[in-house]
Amino acid sequence: MSDITAYAAPRSLDEAVSLLQAGDVTILAGGTDLTPQTKSGKLTFRPTLMNIRRVPELSGLTESGGVMRIGALTTISSLLASPLIHERFNGLWQACDHFASDQIRNAATIGGNICNASPAGDTLTPLLTLDARVVLASKPNGSIVRRTTPLGEFLTGPGRTARQPAELLEAIEIPMPPEGFFSAFFKFGTRPALDISVISIAIGAVRDGRKLTRVRIAFGAVAPTAIRAAATEAALEGRPIDAAAIDAAVAAAVNETKPVSDVRASSWYRRELVGNMLRRMLDHVANS
Amino acid sequence: MGPLQKTRADAAARSSDTLIGTRIPKKDAPQKASGRTRYIDDINVPGQLYGKILRSGQVHAKIRSIDVSAARALPGVHAVITAADVPWQRPIGVAKDHLPLKPDRVRSPRDEVAAVAADSEDIAEAALKLIRVDYEPLPPVTDARAALKPDAPLLHGDDLVWTGPDGRAEVVHAASRDNVAMTFKYAQGDIARAEADSAAVVEDVFQLHYVTHCCMGVSGVIAEFDASDNLLLYSNTQVPFLHKREFAEMLGIDPGRVRIIQPPIGGGFGSKLDIYPFEPIAIFLARATGRPVKLIFTREEEFLASPTRQPVLLKLRSGCSADGALTFRAVETLHDNGAYTSWGATTPFVMMQTISSLYRVPSCDYQTLAVYTNNPYSGSFRGYGNLQATFAVEAHMDKLAEAIGMDPLEFRLKNAQDPGETTPQGMNFKSCGFKECLRIAAERSDYQQKRRAYRQQWNDSSILKRGVGMASMLHVGGGAKIYPSDGCGTILKMDDFAHLTLITGASEIGQGSETVLAMLVCEELGLPLSSVSVVNSDTDITPWDVGVHASRTTFIAGNSAIGAARKAKTKILTAAAGKLDMEIAALDLQGGYVIARATGERLLELSRLIRSLHFSDKAELVMTTYYYEPPSQHQDKEFKGDVSAAYAWGTQVVEIEVDTQTGIVRLLKVTAAHDVGRVLNRLGIEGQVEGGVVMGQGYALTENLIVENGVIRNPNFRDYKLVTAPEIPEMDISFIESVDGEGPQGAKGVGEAPAICVAAAVGNAIYNATGVRMYGLPFTPENVYRALHGQAKPVTWDIGA
Ligand SMILES: Cc1cc2nc3c(=O)[nH]c(=O)nc-3n(C[C@H](O)[C@H](O)[C@H](O)COP(=O)(O)OP(=O)(O)OC[C@H]3O[C@@H](n4cnc5c(N)ncnc54)[C@H](O)[C@@H]3O)c2cc1C
Repeated sequence: MSDITAYAAPRSLDEAVSLLQAGDVTILAGGTDLTPQTKSGKLTFRPTLMNIRRVPELSGLTESGGVMRIGALTTISSLLASPLIHERFNGLWQACDHFASDQIRNAATIGGNICNASPAGDTLTPLLTLDARVVLASKPNGSIVRRTTPLGEFLTGPGRTARQPAELLEAIEIPMPPEGFFSAFFKFGTRPALDISVISIAIGAVRDGRKLTRVRIAFGAVAPTAIRAAATEAALEGRPIDAAAIDAAVAAAVNETKPVSDVRASSWYRRELVGNMLRRMLDHVANS
Repeated sequence: MGPLQKTRADAAARSSDTLIGTRIPKKDAPQKASGRTRYIDDINVPGQLYGKILRSGQVHAKIRSIDVSAARALPGVHAVITAADVPWQRPIGVAKDHLPLKPDRVRSPRDEVAAVAADSEDIAEAALKLIRVDYEPLPPVTDARAALKPDAPLLHGDDLVWTGPDGRAEVVHAASRDNVAMTFKYAQGDIARAEADSAAVVEDVFQLHYVTHCCMGVSGVIAEFDASDNLLLYSNTQVPFLHKREFAEMLGIDPGRVRIIQPPIGGGFGSKLDIYPFEPIAIFLARATGRPVKLIFTREEEFLASPTRQPVLLKLRSGCSADGALTFRAVETLHDNGAYTSWGATTPFVMMQTISSLYRVPSCDYQTLAVYTNNPYSGSFRGYGNLQATFAVEAHMDKLAEAIGMDPLEFRLKNAQDPGETTPQGMNFKSCGFKECLRIAAERSDYQQKRRAYRQQWNDSSILKRGVGMASMLHVGGGAKIYPSDGCGTILKMDDFAHLTLITGASEIGQGSETVLAMLVCEELGLPLSSVSVVNSDTDITPWDVGVHASRTTFIAGNSAIGAARKAKTKILTAAAGKLDMEIAALDLQGGYVIARATGERLLELSRLIRSLHFSDKAELVMTTYYYEPPSQHQDKEFKGDVSAAYAWGTQVVEIEVDTQTGIVRLLKVTAAHDVGRVLNRLGIEGQVEGGVVMGQGYALTENLIVENGVIRNPNFRDYKLVTAPEIPEMDISFIESVDGEGPQGAKGVGEAPAICVAAAVGNAIYNATGVRMYGLPFTPENVYRALHGQAKPVTWDIGA
């Protein structure tokens, strides 16, 4: 039985953060995580259910001042439809292209994917390689306050984030990458669509001839959160992408991931996949 | 037997307007596609309550006490029952070792401990949470091998005694003092001699896993007693007439007082062939409350508490001569029976047929031990043990061929059955297109050439490797005589406007029987399909039928429908002959008219003729009945006998691609050739084969009900992976029409056949692609990857005894 006593559908950010400030609120965006989680009893609704889909400040995809701003309510479908995302953030676009099914993509939001903080959340690894930051809004003392945090610090554990109960995720900010930047995403599920990542890999780097700089590598589903892989990045940073660099990166990746065993895969197999698939992606980079 | 040969000649004569072999959309398709079909979940009976079951969540425990007082006190709750409230409950299931509500001990997490009937599902759910059960854990046994150890805890170590209302006590299930639930033994020939004469001998242990049916419609029932205490059930059962009797016995009433209505069923596949506890529990709740009780599973419950396919550990030893003749097969299997005995334990009936009779094998030895554990219990599931047996047999066909250096197709052809053969097990193959299946599947898939080419890539550096694999199957195709009767009854009536109502005992579970039966009747009576309605869902109306299983409905119910139609035709033509003053033999029925057989000239409009019969001095209606019993035999105690009136054959060749860096196996193409006797509804049979192949694909590649220490770990579609649309392979389907003399219009059963070969063929294809043979299912990416990298857990027999 549901314990919801009030339903709110605020029409402005101000209204939404005021409601949050009053406390005991469950935030509803697309509901594609919330619904299964509350149905299965993994999560219980708090007394106020707040549907944020009518808050205009939470939507929009805009570029200004060298920063790309993605409103928290942006759906996976709209990311896929955006030429800007396709051209400049292709890794993120690929993640959306491997995300669930059309029905889910139409409802699922990027903000929900981030706040749900699943280690297997598919937008998280590409966002990490893009140095994405999250913008959080709250209204502690009668006026709206915002803080900005790197995504890597925001994700603190499986299903856990640094978001305070009175904070709303307003948007994601991504600094526009420099010339020569490319990114890619790989998701291993046991089937071509509608699968939770067994592992996922995102890479992003600036390419100058064969040399890679500003290398970012992130892994999903191999740790309590989606993670950046520092040693793997270091193995590639500033070097030409050749067999030796790829070997070193693969060795570092296998070494720095400590995945769990669960119903989807054993820890051993996940590490094998991390190594094999990172190699496949890097070979592809080297050959293109 | 005979009436049907003539029918075929008739059909051929008017081949231009025959329905047989045409593509007819299923009669129920528009309703289903437009969401109008009312499944059991959509049915609500005035005054109904909602039933819910409390399951133990314990793998093995003693029940110390159950406190239902808080649940009973919850407003909106009408009844809370435990075993103590139904001391008269009788054990259910194949071995009658299973009480619906568990009195003092639970043997699996799904075990039913208490049940609630309430005004709403939410209240019933809340009431379950208020029930306090005090358990004392008992040592679990979750491995069939461990269950056989002398010191293993006994799961059914005591007699199960039922005490009737008159105080008379009766042992309904005798104690098992070694955890053995059932045994099967079959033998033919002389194994020792045959082995001594063999040029090649191979032995392997195979492990077949748990999968479950995943019917889109979950299990459910509505139970209701009327004012005279007659029981009405809305039920998804596949065997309404058998269950009528069991429920009556359970309640101590006459079976005539039990009526079962089957709303359209959202999938069966064998899962609804046994009585499971939720059905009697709904009846108990209806009794306790005097109100109709609706009990529908949640999807999670469907995973946790419906039957599975029988998991099997199988040791196979096979041999052949240097020139490629099979010499012997020796099989031992260990069936994990789970906590109680359902149909899964009896799959050896089918398994031994494949072992002894798919190919000619002079000597065979087959043994099964079905052993109690605290694991889930298995029911019947499309193929009924045949997927498991075929997996092992067809792996050995490849291995033996390789051992003697023979082409695997040639090896199979050499040992394949021919028409007319009677096997040592007593099966007589009156029609048999097996060799044609082999040849056509091989030819259309370019099997021989590809197999040789793909082997060349074993040691090259390619990451993606292709392979082809072949497997064949034999399955009953003309019913299976496992009950005293394997028959089906039909009532046919024609109204004043020449509209037919076909009342058949046969159950429709989505297989398209309604459509095919309507076709067969229309074919006889020369009527368009639009002029027939089918009634098939109410035991108070329909004549007896043994149930929908064993791929039998088209064959058995089809012959029954044809029988009734032929009687109607005789009656109509006799009347017409009288009116026209012509010979009966000179007349026929076509397009709603009585016609002159020779010229096709329309002589009388059928509906006018029928009315003139009705509204006359000797008023008469056209109503006929027919009961068809197939000419098959019960097997004797040695499992010998011609158990089916016809047998179905099939060969499938699969082509796959293995990603050696992930272990993903993509099924690219399935080339299937099935001896179906004759194609009746081409659209329907293609759908059957495609659906069956996909089900076999799931068994081979994706589906895995993970059971760890007695607990199901993935009771949801997120982690239990059904095949999705983009994974479905290209299919090339050929039908071999061997025209069975006994079959309706020559047809044989095909329901189970297409699912049987896929896993076996994929196993052979993985070997062809990689040189690695896998002995355990499923071929999920991690399992395949492990096998390719020498990390697979070896499959071992090691049963102590
Ligand atoms: C069938 C299916 C397939 C799926 N496949 C994938 C997949 O392939 N890849 C993948 O990554 N995920 C997948 N998911 C999970 C889910 O769709 C995504 O995580 C999605 O992005 C969640 O977004 P939402 O808008 O639906 O979130 P909701 O369910 O509405 O919310 C999720 C959580 O975030 C909180 N929240 C949402 N928005 C905000 C905000 N602006 N501020 C603060 N808190 C907020 C909510 O309170 C809730 O706790 C799948 C889900 C389903 C049901």
